[in-house]
Amino acid sequence: MKRNMRQFAVVACALFAFVFMGAEKARKPAAPKGEPIKAKIGVISYITGQGAAYGEAITNGIKLAQEEVNAKGEVLVDLKIEDSSGKQEQALAAAQKLINSEKVVAIIGPTLSNEMFAAGPEANASGVPIMGTSTTAKGIPQIGKFVFRNSMPESQAIPAAAGQAVKKHNIKKVALLYGNDDAFTKSGFDTMKETAEKLKLNIVTIQEFQKGQADYKAQLTKIASLAPDAVFCSALYNEGGVILAQARKMGLKVPFVGGNGFNSPKVIEIAKEAAEGLIVATPWFGEKNDPKVKAFVAKYEKAFGKKPDQFAAQAYDAFYIMTNALKAAGAADRTKLRDALAATKNFQGVVGRFSFDADRDVVMTPSVLVVKGGKFAIFN
Amino acid sequence: MEWLNPYHLQVASFMLINAILGVSIYVTLSTGQLSLGNAGFMSIGAYTAALLSTQHQLPIPVGILAGSLLAGAAGILVGIPSLRLSGVYLAIATLGFGEVLRAVLINWESLTGGAVGIAAIPQMGRVILAGARDRGFTPESLGLQSNQFISLTVFLILLAGTLLTVAFFLRLSRSRVGRAYAAIRLDEGAAAAAGIPITYYKVLAFSQGALLSGFAGALFAHSTSFVSPGDFTYHRAVEILVFAVFGGSEHIFGPVFGAAFLTVVPEALRAISEYRYILYGILLVLMMVFRPQGVIDPALLRRFRRSGKGTPA
Amino acid sequence: MFLEQLINGITLGSIYAIVALGYTLVFGVLDIINMAHGEIFMIGAFVGMLIMSKAGAPLPVAFLGAIVVTAAMGLLLERFALRPLRGRPGASHLASLISTIGVSILLENVAHKIFGSGNHLFETPFAEISFTIGPVTVYLVQVVILLISLLLMAGLSLWLARTRAGKALRAAAENLETAGLLGVDTNRMITITVVIASAMGGVAGVLVGMAFNYINNQIGLSMGLKGLAIIIFGGMGSVYGAMAGGLILGLSETFVVAYGSSGYRDAIAFVAIIVILLIKPQGLFGQAPAEAKR
Repeated sequence: MKRNMRQFAVVACALFAFVFMGAEKARKPAAPKGEPIKAKIGVISYITGQGAAYGEAITNGIKLAQEEVNAKGEVLVDLKIEDSSGKQEQALAAAQKLINSEKVVAIIGPTLSNEMFAAGPEANASGVPIMGTSTTAKGIPQIGKFVFRNSMPESQAIPAAAGQAVKKHNIKKVALLYGNDDAFTKSGFDTMKETAEKLKLNIVTIQEFQKGQADYKAQLTKIASLAPDAVFCSALYNEGGVILAQARKMGLKVPFVGGNGFNSPKVIEIAKEAAEGLIVATPWFGEKNDPKVKAFVAKYEKAFGKKPDQFAAQAYDAFYIMTNALKAAGAADRTKLRDALAATKNFQGVVGRFSFDADRDVVMTPSVLVVKGGKFAIFN
Repeated sequence: MEWLNPYHLQVASFMLINAILGVSIYVTLSTGQLSLGNAGFMSIGAYTAALLSTQHQLPIPVGILAGSLLAGAAGILVGIPSLRLSGVYLAIATLGFGEVLRAVLINWESLTGGAVGIAAIPQMGRVILAGARDRGFTPESLGLQSNQFISLTVFLILLAGTLLTVAFFLRLSRSRVGRAYAAIRLDEGAAAAAGIPITYYKVLAFSQGALLSGFAGALFAHSTSFVSPGDFTYHRAVEILVFAVFGGSEHIFGPVFGAAFLTVVPEALRAISEYRYILYGILLVLMMVFRPQGVIDPALLRRFRRSGKGTPA
Repeated sequence: MFLEQLINGITLGSIYAIVALGYTLVFGVLDIINMAHGEIFMIGAFVGMLIMSKAGAPLPVAFLGAIVVTAAMGLLLERFALRPLRGRPGASHLASLISTIGVSILLENVAHKIFGSGNHLFETPFAEISFTIGPVTVYLVQVVILLISLLLMAGLSLWLARTRAGKALRAAAENLETAGLLGVDTNRMITITVVIASAMGGVAGVLVGMAFNYINNQIGLSMGLKGLAIIIFGGMGSVYGAMAGGLILGLSETFVVAYGSSGYRDAIAFVAIIVILLIKPQGLFGQAPAEAKR
């Protein structure tokens, strides 16, 4: 019996090695000679799977930035993009691959907070700077000193939006609606509830939905029957757009206040007229009267056929933050890069003015926007 | 030791966890019961281990043990009513159990944190490294970097767990218990007529499978350091099933091979990652059409053995 | 609100019922669960959407298109993923289950490749028309959905009861071997069954588009799991069981959200099957007690 076990083990190992290592890419020869800093940056993105639209926007934003930066010639970046499908094991494996096989100097991503909780500690233990562009859950930069993020957490954005909305529309009663099976929308809801309580609003009902649901009539009917003055909704744009459309269709006309997930031209695309009056707080304002923003939006639309959303914009800025830090560090060195990143202050991106705080978290001011005439505009 | 790549070790570690999961469904399958609830039992093990180590600061081995035992107990609770069901009915009922459990995990926020999950679970390798460092040991003394040491430690622990599991159940299959399982699988009525206590063995197999799933879940929690309800969906249950059915549902090496192969292939196929799942689907159909008993079946193993002994087949 | 929720529930339930019918037909005759049924339903929805939104054709054409495409898919499924497995010595029931799972993964991801992962708008031309009866607003769309579902269910029952082909199908469902001995062309019967079941999935897909206005490539998965729950609850292989089960599930889900906690909505289907399996394993309308299947 032992003999069969050994034979089996040998075959298994051989199979493993053959299938696996044979498919691995060859290692690129190291390092920078001459003027421009050459660096390999890894990207972990949600490319296949249910949330692939978000990963696509992020990857597009990064690629656009890479083109521009490489064209300038001070830093030459080789991007290694890996798919994590929104699954944390894959994100972890991708991180390992980028860190150990591709030997990248830093990682941008992953897309979901879940994935960051798995991949972040590994990057931190290996001394590789990792920066999330869309990970907004609590506790992410606290994972370790190599973990950064430039995605404004809901805990900053929502109170701003809610506060202004309450004042403008004289809101006293509010209904809460959120996706309870997603870490992002759930933590957005936690903030919304806290904010509603702080503003001393009367919460008439709390309704939940699940991702991928196509029918919200039951929840919306219940909300409508309780006649709130507004609805605070924590959803990603896929669900959010549909919720808005169905709400308006069934006669629920009160203002909706949304979290980060609602800040996307896709919401207007999906909901059309139903999106009018939607209030969102976000760091990203695509219609801003700013030459940098206009140039970015035009370029992005030309390259990818659609307007950039917050995911794309933050990823674009993240790449610039990363390469600026590389320049400041002077070399493609992981530790030097980390220190340079941590020192980033007052970076002017398309999303706005950005700094890292002492915990490597985001310091930025959100704008409160409203949908008017089919476009986002400043809310006042 | 330049060649020791934590990436390969990471994938190998996932392979081993999946192997244990494959055996977990195989054990119940060997009595003719198809349970699709193993993702649910896995979540019991994972969450127990996660909660005990993050909220109560208990050492990792305690969490793993508790998670496994709790999952095994749940297996008994599910196994007893399931006695009345068989075939596809049982499969769907157990799938339903897994889904209900997942809904509980999402909604019982005060205990589980809901969809946000539990983060910062102590990772086995890092904890051991920290402990070793406290005693003045450095990985460099072995010629290893920290992350190589961490990945290697995790891999070795999982390897030990997997080998123990496979060895135990291999022996079991040759014991009286194993023969009872096989008898029940072939013809339950005849087995009962022959005096085999059906109830006892069926529930035993069920709880063994559940315990293994819980064990794998706890190990999973302590390797990835994060769990959330989304890790234990219907997709996971189907994945586990496919390990056994693809790898071979008639011998314990089947699910082990299936798990190994189906963990490595999507990784190796990263280059064409966009088509990964499409190819996966086609592979399943082709396998079933051309070799439905799975890759590893007793006939293949016999041929192996014979060539090993040097006698021509 | 109760009446509105009632209408919501009935609309949802009738769609569920049609999806369940697809499962129950195949199970009745082939003894297997077609895990790809949900994805075929999803493709039906997309085909309907394409026909109406991109080609600008009227609703009946959308139905026709969806039926044709999904029927064709059923044909392919039976021919390439199911038939080779029949009569094979080594094959267990699991093999067909896995084979259909493979097809479902394939379809889900191919749809994702082609359509992307977001929500797509499904425009029904008369979506805005509604009547107000007393305190309640009923949409024309909801009425149409209910009518079509009832017609389909009635049509299917009649076909099974009265026509020769329908009776042959019932005979095959009762006992494949015996039916074959009695002169039923079992291969053809099986093909017809799968084709009809898939076409029904296609119709349900268009109905879902009409009802919810948005479709994405994930609806197949959730609908599929619910469909499974329904046929267990109603009785596998029972047409009335599928209909009743579908309606009951639609109503329960809606009312649990309306009066209970919306977080548990999707879990209801599974709690229901656990309960029914413990009390009456053959389902509400099931006939034979659950025999030990191979």
